[in-house]
Amino acid sequence: MWTYEKRLQFPVNITQTCPKTASLIITQFGGPDGELAASMRYLAQRYSMPCREVGGLLTDIGTEELAHLEIICTMVYQLTKSLTAEQAKTAGFDAYYVDHTTALWPTAAAGAPFTAYEFQSKGDALTDLTEDLAAEQKARTTYDNLIRIIDNPEVREPLKFLREREVVHFQRFGEAIEKIKSTLNAKNFYYYNAEFDKQFVKK
Amino acid sequence: MTDRKQMLKEISEISFTVNDLTLYLDTHPLDTNAMAAFSEAAGKRKSLMQAYANQFEPLTVDCVCPDTNNESDMNTNYPGTKHFTWVDGPLPWEGGIS
Repeated sequence: MWTYEKRLQFPVNITQTCPKTASLIITQFGGPDGELAASMRYLAQRYSMPCREVGGLLTDIGTEELAHLEIICTMVYQLTKSLTAEQAKTAGFDAYYVDHTTALWPTAAAGAPFTAYEFQSKGDALTDLTEDLAAEQKARTTYDNLIRIIDNPEVREPLKFLREREVVHFQRFGEAIEKIKSTLNAKNFYYYNAEFDKQFVKK
Repeated sequence: MTDRKQMLKEISEISFTVNDLTLYLDTHPLDTNAMAAFSEAAGKRKSLMQAYANQFEPLTVDCVCPDTNNESDMNTNYPGTKHFTWVDGPLPWEGGIS
């Protein structure tokens, strides 16, 4: 169950139309390391997580990623909402405009559409949490790359906030791995799969 | 009257504190200092959310109160008429270029 809160987690007020910038940051909506992939990854992984507290953490971080998705979509929307026909010809946005006008559609910056392959759910707690650590770092690198090439402070400030959250989530997932390890065989963490061989799991 | 933007900023800040402490407490559920900070921030957030709903519009359905919400006639399509106030106010993605 979810409830909606009618506000952004971080304010977005972009006063300059820039389809080129929109075509870049949209990758954090529908790209391989974007917020849609992040939220769906964590919210899919949580069901079979053998530890209740880690399932709870995946729920809370997955929920925050939905709020990040909303921030990214808001930025793309504001960058393009006053788009003129002439501006729609901008390289990098023209092809998107033909298919989607100025509506939001999940795609990577390079044009690949969002697919379920972009989030992983393997069914082994160590594997999935290691995936999540990498996912947070990949998202952080993407934000680093965006911040490096975008000058407008109205765009940079929300991106900087989102980048910081990747670092915090990375920290929390690291703690979650340690939590999982404490329920495993201390002599061999790979002796069994905690999500499948449940008879071995320490409560 | 408190400025809408200022009040929303305060709500964003205290909500961020609550959110970040929640994630921390998910992995440190025995940290009593963090629990005290959580209680203080969560209480402040609750009263700010209700104050904002009373003065402007509700941000969650839990804050909807048709009898007391939106006493001002701003940001509503139904000034002076009893109505469901969840429909009032801007959507989160509005802003920027008008």
